[in-house]
Amino acid sequence: MILYFVTIILLVLIAPLLLSYIKATKMMLLFKRPISIFQGYRDFSKLMHKETIISEETSAITTYAPFLVLSPLLIVMFFLPPVVHGSYYVSFVDAFTITGLISLSTFFLMLLGLDSASAFGGMGSSREAFISALVEPAMVLTIFSVSLMAGNLGVGQAGVNLAQHFPQEHMASFLFAGISFFILLMAENGRIPVDNPETHLELTMVHEAMILDLTGVYLAIIETASSIKFVIFASLFASLFMPFGLEFTAPIAFLIFIVKLFFIATLVALLEVNTAKLRLFKIPNLLGLAIVFAFLSLITFYVLGA
Amino acid sequence: MFVFDWLSLIFVALILLGAIPNIFYSSGYLPHIERKLHYQLHYFAFIFSMLGVVVSANALVFLFFWELMSLTSWQLILTEVKENATIKAARFYFTMTHFGFLFLLLFFLIVTDGDLTVGFAAMKLSASHFAYPTLLFFFLLLGFLSKAGAVPLHVWLPYAHPQAPSPVSALMSGVMLKVAIYGMFRFLFDVLYPWPIEWGIVILTIGALSSLVGVLYALSEHDIKALLANHSIENIGIILIGFGMGMIFDTLGLTTLSSFAFIAAIFHTFNHMSFKSLLFMGAGSVLHQTYTKNMEKYGGLIKAMPVTAFTFLIAAISISALPPSNGFLSEWMIFQSMLSSSHIDNISLKLAIPFAIFALAMTGGLAIACFVKAYGITFLGLHRSTNAKHTHEVNFLMRFGMILMTLVVISLMLFTPFYMHYFDKVMVGLGRASIYAQIFPNGVWNMHSVGINGGIVSPLILLLSLGGVTAFIMFAYKVFGIKTRIHNSWACGYKTSAKTQYTATGFAGPIRRLFDWLYKPEEHFSKQTIAGHETKFDDSHYEVHVKPLFEKVFYTSIVKAVNFTSYWVYRLAHFEQTRYAAMIFNIMLVVLFSYRIFAHDFSWATFVLEFFVMMISVRILIIGDKK
Repeated sequence: MILYFVTIILLVLIAPLLLSYIKATKMMLLFKRPISIFQGYRDFSKLMHKETIISEETSAITTYAPFLVLSPLLIVMFFLPPVVHGSYYVSFVDAFTITGLISLSTFFLMLLGLDSASAFGGMGSSREAFISALVEPAMVLTIFSVSLMAGNLGVGQAGVNLAQHFPQEHMASFLFAGISFFILLMAENGRIPVDNPETHLELTMVHEAMILDLTGVYLAIIETASSIKFVIFASLFASLFMPFGLEFTAPIAFLIFIVKLFFIATLVALLEVNTAKLRLFKIPNLLGLAIVFAFLSLITFYVLGA
Repeated sequence: MFVFDWLSLIFVALILLGAIPNIFYSSGYLPHIERKLHYQLHYFAFIFSMLGVVVSANALVFLFFWELMSLTSWQLILTEVKENATIKAARFYFTMTHFGFLFLLLFFLIVTDGDLTVGFAAMKLSASHFAYPTLLFFFLLLGFLSKAGAVPLHVWLPYAHPQAPSPVSALMSGVMLKVAIYGMFRFLFDVLYPWPIEWGIVILTIGALSSLVGVLYALSEHDIKALLANHSIENIGIILIGFGMGMIFDTLGLTTLSSFAFIAAIFHTFNHMSFKSLLFMGAGSVLHQTYTKNMEKYGGLIKAMPVTAFTFLIAAISISALPPSNGFLSEWMIFQSMLSSSHIDNISLKLAIPFAIFALAMTGGLAIACFVKAYGITFLGLHRSTNAKHTHEVNFLMRFGMILMTLVVISLMLFTPFYMHYFDKVMVGLGRASIYAQIFPNGVWNMHSVGINGGIVSPLILLLSLGGVTAFIMFAYKVFGIKTRIHNSWACGYKTSAKTQYTATGFAGPIRRLFDWLYKPEEHFSKQTIAGHETKFDDSHYEVHVKPLFEKVFYTSIVKAVNFTSYWVYRLAHFEQTRYAAMIFNIMLVVLFSYRIFAHDFSWATFVLEFFVMMISVRILIIGDKK
């Protein structure tokens, strides 16, 4: 039980670090002087000391929605597969609940965008709605395929099963599911081919546009939520698609897990540097690819025999 | 004459749950209706007839109440005739509902051997002797699905539901469609029981198509009530997906999974009743205050109408299937039953079901987009018109109706095991083993899927933890004592006004563009350019209309075909006698030739020869010389 809570706290704490690390890596690769990898914490503490400015056009939604954006994601943290063998984990919560909770958070974020009565907020919400509608089917199919390979629909249990008995005979469908999930990771977290987290150009903004009118603590909450979302996806990827390293004792296993997270972050940074941002109307092609890979994964699983 | 088994009683409960809050709402709405007596008479007769349909035990009573239900609802659509569209919509509804009635009548005439007063057991006996059970199945499908609004018989819904007064739309969309679902349960189980596997697949396909088509057209809709009506098509599709999965599992002998899927379908029927009624009531209140159904004219209504906005939000969360709402729970069950398809041995079926999963997941994603649009554009932001500026909260009775309905929604979420207990009894009444103990094996906290290694969801724990965590963060926010300042929107320094906001058209823009091949939208764009500059204009107007493809393909083209043939038939009436004689001669030639071809030996050479003889004879004798 202690390990369980330590994992959650560790993951929450590491979240801003990962995003700053991605940014620093990207800057280094672009021959800029990189920001400190602790920039995320600095931003957070600075925002916490500011006063909150609420737009006079907004309603009760803006007052409550930031909390409702963060809390479903925090709850998802409790349902992730274990990092260390022998740690407590919630075995039974399935992928629908997790995707549902993430959607709930996105739902309130989109309402938040529309509430400020600015064109930017609406634009961000509209684009986010478009992207997340396409992410949903790929997500469900991918996780279905993974849970078939793991032999359990519960995500936590699936992580453990995969670590204990890796499905060698289903390597092909495992790989397809992995590719699909990685595309989803990029899309859901607003990384470059889908959304550029750094610009504030109206042509490219998705996530930033929705939160344009937030300041202070509210902005800190939303930023925390988005970093936690990245950690959720990264650790799901680490547990389901790199299922090793659980059998070591606690500190080493934690270390291995963190290395995995940083590996994923590096991968994301490399991809971001090497690809251009897609036009909004080209994004369905990318997400369609994710859907096709998810289908391929399921079909190969069925055809090669369960 | 009447039957009161669990299936009937559960649907009686559904109708009462949908109707009682509605009666309050309707009483609050009454002062705005001119023909009060006409309205009240038909309103209560409508509720009564729906109750009659679900308890009737023979064909005659069933058809009587069914027809009464159709006629009263038709008259209710015609309560407030202010525009021509109402009359057109009512006529469309009348035609469609009698189209369905015709097939129901055919079905009953066959299964009862002409004696409409026999019970279900006798019907089952004569149905089992009938040589073409699939014909009966299609009669049932056409009869009930034209009422329920499944693809391709769904086109009347977005016309008829918005034209009725709002309490009636809520009843029609929330409750009346479910009566058709009752019909599917009753007659597929009690009359046509052993189902071939194809029937289940047909229903699953119709369900998957309806859910996608419904939500896609809902997204392109700006009339708030038509949007909700399109969502009814979607939700009927989801119910049919559950129903179809149940039928498939049943044919394959997986009875536990089959019961689970049917229970999921019943549960979603209840959920859809609750949140759709609530949404229509909310839309009705908005309409009542703003006097327009166009979403582009709303905006910022949350400030003047907090109760409506809050209840609408609950319903929107529930219909978008977001946890921990009741809509999520029933969609979760349907997903779980589809995921259990990995137990199926038939490989082609196994490979096909992921496409249904895809359809349902896509529907879920698009539904979220649609309700963000519906809620955000209606209730958030700034007022988009003067109508929206002068709104107030609706009167007490209407509010009370909405709050009661919200309680129904919440009770379906909180007391899922209680409801599930009775849904299970329905399945027991239909001759299945009880699976309640498998869904809730250890107490009411966790809901299990009955598949092997199935998922588990715990609605109450989710709700409590969501509430707890949110309260904790808000408490922390309060404790920190952060100062709050009210200021106008920043928006990159631009001035925000009602016109700079995103519109409903704009919000659905990306999705409309992706599904351009389906929508084929008609765009109207005009602008007043300044001094001939293409990009500089001071006044512009953009409108986009989407006419459903199904309407174009099935309905308009049928009308065109009828017109075309009648034109040629009309032309025939003006021939001279010699030409009639020539036609008779040619028809005789066709008969003789085809007799020779089909009855005797066939050879290509004579076939070609005869073909040319025919062509020449038609060319010379019938068409003749052109003047």
